[in-house]
Amino acid sequence: MTTSNRRVMKQTGKYVLLTAALVLFAGPLVWMLSTMLKTKAETYKVPPTLLPESLNFEAFNRLFDVQPLMWRWIQNSFAISALVVLGAVLSSSIVAYGFSRFTTKYKDRLFPIVLMTLMIPPSILMIPSYVLFTKLHWVDTWLPLIVPAWLGGAYYIFLFRQFFMTIPQELDEATYLDGGNRWTVFTRVIMPLSKPIVVTTVIFAFVNSWLDFLGPFLYIKSNSMFTLSVGLQLLIGQTSQDFPALAAGAFISIVPIGLLFLFAQRYIVEGVVLTGSKG
Amino acid sequence: MKSKLRRYDTLIFFLFISPWIIGFSLFFLVPFGTSVFYAFTDARLPGAANYNFVGLSNFVDMFNNPIFSKSLGNTAYFVIIGVPIVTVGMLLLAMLLNMNVKGIALYRTFYYLPTLVPIVATVIIWRLVFNSEFGILNAGLSVFGIGKIDWMGSEGLIKPVIILLQIWISGSGVLIFLAALKNVPKHLYEAVLIDGANKVQSFFRVTLPMISPSILFVVIIQTMYNFQMFTEALLLTKGGPNYAAYTFVYNIYKSAFTDLKFSMAMTQSIFLFALISLVTFVLMKLSKRFVYYEGEK
Repeated sequence: MTTSNRRVMKQTGKYVLLTAALVLFAGPLVWMLSTMLKTKAETYKVPPTLLPESLNFEAFNRLFDVQPLMWRWIQNSFAISALVVLGAVLSSSIVAYGFSRFTTKYKDRLFPIVLMTLMIPPSILMIPSYVLFTKLHWVDTWLPLIVPAWLGGAYYIFLFRQFFMTIPQELDEATYLDGGNRWTVFTRVIMPLSKPIVVTTVIFAFVNSWLDFLGPFLYIKSNSMFTLSVGLQLLIGQTSQDFPALAAGAFISIVPIGLLFLFAQRYIVEGVVLTGSKG
Repeated sequence: MKSKLRRYDTLIFFLFISPWIIGFSLFFLVPFGTSVFYAFTDARLPGAANYNFVGLSNFVDMFNNPIFSKSLGNTAYFVIIGVPIVTVGMLLLAMLLNMNVKGIALYRTFYYLPTLVPIVATVIIWRLVFNSEFGILNAGLSVFGIGKIDWMGSEGLIKPVIILLQIWISGSGVLIFLAALKNVPKHLYEAVLIDGANKVQSFFRVTLPMISPSILFVVIIQTMYNFQMFTEALLLTKGGPNYAAYTFVYNIYKSAFTDLKFSMAMTQSIFLFALISLVTFVLMKLSKRFVYYEGEK
């Protein structure tokens, strides 16, 4: 065999491997799309049809008929995510400025605690937090989902701090000479230079909030207050045999994140590699 | 004068970090203290006014409960069997995606997509794919003459199905490995190649040691994740069939919200915290022998 033949074989082998794995990873998503576009009757065929016989969007109508709160849940999810994003950007950047620009022994003692809280398994705090929120009368409100984001999320503090450390201190000093104080340095020097990390935080906070299931599942009791995720969980119980409608519901919950990923892939990838979190 | 200025600046520092101080106290210290306190009482409900101190009896009761042992065993399965499988799976995928072929960026995007699917949607998709009557998986297997498999209804299969699901959503770990693989200096591979090493040898002599810090990182994250496995078990089969997916955290959830024994749920939470801390500590200690940090003599 000539070397060029061998090279072609090797290249082909690589594509075969990649494509085989691709079928395993993209396959379930394709199956969701296919199921979503079938009629209910077609989904009960044995053996199943791989692709729908004809494109059919009835599933979406049935979904919104069976569960009139669908729109409400979608709106709730967007509203909560927006408030979480706002809180994460505002509070974490302020706290991170404190942890990056001051020289005090307290800074060096407290910052390791910020990092430590990242290592605490959240599920051990699940039940005691529920007790706390019960006593605060926050159960069945959105407050348990939103307020923590406004009080300095450790991930975002870390992200902002790492970024602020790369901004030269000379810029701060120039502002002090012009009569600026700590706050003007933060708002006029640091933040205008921090657009990339603000964008990253916006994306991550949105993804985190959108993907959160446990929080809304534990703390929200009224159906009309549900997020889309918790609503879908209710739907599984209601129409467990209407496969196209369930697939349509799953599809709707994926779309916002999918679109975001399309436009902001670079930021998401960088953030994951830096912190090891999916968001 | 100078020290006064310094004290003023320290005050400003605390003003800046005050959101975090409030959040840390309210959402970490208070719940932590609450759980330690509750663990020694017989309080059944959150905010219960009548409770008695019962010493260590919650801990004794916890160990005497057969469901507790069952849940501990299930979680041990995920940690001991699931973590290595998922980690190796991530590494293999990362190596696959590290290959130098045209269009690789597009492939990477597709592998990462499942990671961004909300967990409830993931569960819906898996129920559609793994449905024993109408699912695509059994239909595909029947081509090879394999009969209907009841994936979700079988005690022996539910845990492997959940591990498989973890691999499906393993994009973040794959990305971490991918970044680590790209950072291995090319000249090291050339050096062992000159020494006559083949592909397999160069993997074990160069790749593995060079990416070992990432392996440790991923193993620790995966270990913590599997110790806390809950949502998947809840949504796929409600911990069943016959308690086969009844994980430790699922048991905590049931103790609190079904049995209405919050003090017991707190006791179990504290036990879990101790267990995770211990295992993480041991992993870090052991890793000193295996993990190679560049620039360290």
